[in-house]
Amino acid sequence: MNTKTDSTQIIELIKINDEGVLKTLYQSNFYKIEAFVLKNSGTTEHAKDIFQEAFIAVWKNVKTNKFQPQNNHSLNGYLYTISKNKWMDYLRSKHHKKTVVTSKLNHFQISNTDSLDKHDDILKENRLQDIMEAFKNLGLPCKNLLTKFYFEKKSMNTIAEELQLDAASTRNKKYRCMQKLRELALKDN
Amino acid sequence: MNPDYNITQEELEYIERYITKNMTFEELAAFEEKLRSNPDFKNQVDDIKTMLLGIETQALKEKLDEFHKELPETNTPIEEPSKIRYLNIKKLIAIAAVFVISLGSYWFFNKESHTNLYSKYYSPDPGLPTTMSSSDNFIFYDAMVNYKRKDYNLAISKWEPLLIKKPENDTLNYFIGSAYLANDKEELAMTYLQKVTQLKENTFKNEAYYYLGLAYLKAKNIELAKKYLNLSTFDNSKEILSKLKE
Repeated sequence: MNTKTDSTQIIELIKINDEGVLKTLYQSNFYKIEAFVLKNSGTTEHAKDIFQEAFIAVWKNVKTNKFQPQNNHSLNGYLYTISKNKWMDYLRSKHHKKTVVTSKLNHFQISNTDSLDKHDDILKENRLQDIMEAFKNLGLPCKNLLTKFYFEKKSMNTIAEELQLDAASTRNKKYRCMQKLRELALKDN
Repeated sequence: MNPDYNITQEELEYIERYITKNMTFEELAAFEEKLRSNPDFKNQVDDIKTMLLGIETQALKEKLDEFHKELPETNTPIEEPSKIRYLNIKKLIAIAAVFVISLGSYWFFNKESHTNLYSKYYSPDPGLPTTMSSSDNFIFYDAMVNYKRKDYNLAISKWEPLLIKKPENDTLNYFIGSAYLANDKEELAMTYLQKVTQLKENTFKNEAYYYLGLAYLKAKNIELAKKYLNLSTFDNSKEILSKLKE
């Protein structure tokens, strides 16, 4: 269709995880970040990790309206800046890395939750990590179904049609997959 | 926040409708009241939010790895020097044997008709990624789902009305042509694919030339098949052309 999509449209497409837009955003920016990381004592593998981390951060901020780019250029610039900062942070923290084992610490703190906000954030972040890990290892049928629903944002009817099921069974299947995911995330914990 | 709670399908769907902003005004008011008065409920809602974010984030993460694998090469690697001089006699004999065998089987299979060549190389265009959206493109992507499910007639019936509104649209012309070709209607496919090659946009031109070549090959019009395959830069085009030359 029209190749010149304006920035608001791009934002909307990112919010619905349009594969074409995400792919373009990824592929047209990676090498710039790679060049930066390589120039600053990193490897290609570092570049990939940092860039993907930054990409997810940008995506989250777009989703939650924390970032509203003026144009396509500023979105690319934003991605570059975040990647750069993340890499600089990494370089600075490199030597202290081994002393910070937050995930282990928090595990023991869950039982005596108090009202500290910071505490709550860490718990939420841990829960998010647990769910991501559980989703990674979820059986393929459930994983595909939940991906279609929550990532590709397809309608229940479309998904039902694709699975050749009626809408009610698809909804029930989705519910059972969510339960499975929850169980798995708790077990991992 | 204790993530170990029971939730029914109805409750889950109710909370999801809140998160995806699919509630009526009254429902929303009642929901927000419950959020204020019931801290356990609020925790549950927060946890479902975290779950949805976790699913989306992990799915994205896995997509990014796919994108990474498909990164276009930046600099073409320098051609390695020919390795022939490292080969010993044994290997040369082996290569010669393979060559003789393949030559033999080539003569044998040369009887392979153009139809065979077509079915060997033809696979339908995989289509575009579909997303659920409320935009004008909804019908287009809806039909794309049908196309991917090989329901070509249904896809065509949805795309053609769109083409009436936008006769110069390259994407529509290209996919209607692709759908016809996939449905063994190569004559009809040619009309649409030819249109794509005449338009200004370049996105689908290379593909259109390739499939036009295949359509003519299917129709056993070898001259035109060659002409169009020559215009496409795909490796497959070159392979087919070299097979046609013999």
